[in-house]
Amino acid sequence: MTTDDRTPRTGAPVRYRALRLCSNGGGFEAVPDRRAALDLPRFRRTLEASGIPVLDARVMLIVRLPLEVTISQGGRFLFKTRDPERAREAFVQLAGLLGLDDRLAPPPGG
Amino acid sequence: MGRGVMLMSGGIDSPVALYYLLRQGHEVVAVHMDNRPFTDDSPLEKVVDHLTILRERFHQPIPLYVVPHGSTQVTLMRSTDRHVGCILCRRFMWRSAERIALRENATFLITGEALGQVASQTLSNMRSATQAVGLPIVRPLVGLDKQEIEAVAKEIGTYGISTRPGVCCQAVPDRPATRSRLLSILEEEARVDAEAILDDCVRRATVM
Repeated sequence: MTTDDRTPRTGAPVRYRALRLCSNGGGFEAVPDRRAALDLPRFRRTLEASGIPVLDARVMLIVRLPLEVTISQGGRFLFKTRDPERAREAFVQLAGLLGLDDRLAPPPGG
Repeated sequence: MGRGVMLMSGGIDSPVALYYLLRQGHEVVAVHMDNRPFTDDSPLEKVVDHLTILRERFHQPIPLYVVPHGSTQVTLMRSTDRHVGCILCRRFMWRSAERIALRENATFLITGEALGQVASQTLSNMRSATQAVGLPIVRPLVGLDKQEIEAVAKEIGTYGISTRPGVCCQAVPDRPATRSRLLSILEEEARVDAEAILDDCVRRATVM
């Protein structure tokens, strides 16, 4: 993981605890354990080099795997599926490409 | 009775607002601003289902214009201050609706907005957003609270559709502006070619 993908406050690596349903129940999201500052331009270059279409909206990327994923600058991944297994597979695929830790930590108490 | 253009989001409020207008005997043309890829397919599906119920109830055709809005969001996100993104977004929605109103010989616009339901629904934001259009705007729900609106939605059969799962708009900033100055909104909007954006969106609109 590069320093760009560490939280500015502590410099610690970004960790993702678990996938959870988003507020309206239409997708799953992976939220970092603290606010991050992802290097979206680098992510975009990496994904496009792998042949993955990316829409760059400056403060977020919309990635088509073909499952659609929104990656926010603050570190949040939103997977547009109601199937948690598809969301998990997409997270592992993206984390592998982007050099992030792909081990979703268990939720607190889980 | 008049002919109006109604902005339909797929939420709880807009079909209730439409119900009140139809009950009064107005003719209505519906407009849905299609926010994909910042949402999923669910808002459009909900609007289609809302209209199916209301068309049957009032025996009105209620044409639905689906206006692509995602590319507008991308342009705004790339070029303008994120904090006022919701207000700029609304200004483009209103102007798209107004253009369709002119095409459809409609004389007013309709919205399900109520005051203060979400952070961005403040009087100063509404003024900043609606300054973009000249047609009068009708807000049938402005004096109702959420419980009253939900009760009507349940009665007319649209509540269950509105509350189906869906992805929220991903373009909403973390801290949307709650108090806006019109002058600064206009300065932000000047960073993009508003007329070209509107021309493109309305040209690509489809009618269902």
